[in-house]
Amino acid sequence: MIQRIFLTVLLAVLGSALAIAAGAQKPILDGYASQAKAEMSGFSGFSAERGKVFFLAKHDASAETPSCATCHTADPTKSGQTRAGKEISPMAVSKTPDRFTDSEKVEKWFQRNCQSVLGRACTAQEKGDFITFMASI
Amino acid sequence: MKILSKLLVASALLFAGAFSLIAVQDSAYSAGNAIDPTYQKECGACHTPFPAQFLPKRSWERLLSGLDKHFGEDAALPPKSLASVKAYLESHAADTAMGSARAMRDVPTTATPLRITEMPFWTRIHARQIERHAFSASKITSAANCTACHRGAVNGIYEDD
Repeated sequence: MIQRIFLTVLLAVLGSALAIAAGAQKPILDGYASQAKAEMSGFSGFSAERGKVFFLAKHDASAETPSCATCHTADPTKSGQTRAGKEISPMAVSKTPDRFTDSEKVEKWFQRNCQSVLGRACTAQEKGDFITFMASI
Repeated sequence: MKILSKLLVASALLFAGAFSLIAVQDSAYSAGNAIDPTYQKECGACHTPFPAQFLPKRSWERLLSGLDKHFGEDAALPPKSLASVKAYLESHAADTAMGSARAMRDVPTTATPLRITEMPFWTRIHARQIERHAFSASKITSAANCTACHRGAVNGIYEDD
């Protein structure tokens, strides 16, 4: 019985922690959602799974940075490293809770890194999927 | 004979000591608190915020005019941050009143080096490490990772630890 209560409390705490985590990123995600609706007619919400595929994909725009994972590593809960050797704190919201809460910062890095890795700007759906993936792990 | 050899060893040690002191003095550098906070935040996000005094003004001008293609990456800055970074770097460059003649030594007037590692003062100071291929070690990653050896580099301090 006590175990059951403990488990329920634990789940409730975990659940609300997750909700808070997702909550902090909501304003930025909402912004990308309305952009995505304007950009494509069939938009039906963001997908963490699609974000993961995008994050790990190898592109051919740059020999130095073929993928997001080149610098951020394939595991976003771990620290990454820039090509100049500087540590990058984990992209996963569970590890770095203030990720994706400052829209200027988010836009600056998407603009730079999408150009560096993909050789083009990212779509609103790609950005939203990326953040949704990072908020899910 | 014994005394003579002892004297020899002692003088050799003294000589080595004096030499290493000179060597440390030669490589020690401190920009103190002169590093601009915007520069430190924006440029320091990816690499050591290299002191402005390590490159001539013409080099910083060239680098800042091509930030969208910065050593294989897009490092473009919003206009306001760019103006602030530009003002700091160009007013503290090696060939300005805030710079040092030592950093400019042997730089041809026709050259615009885009990497500090191309500067003659840098290759002179790091000759031993270059020879040993120290910069390709996995812990260092790149010669741009000053902090790997100079712990105070993030604040512009390059005194040898």
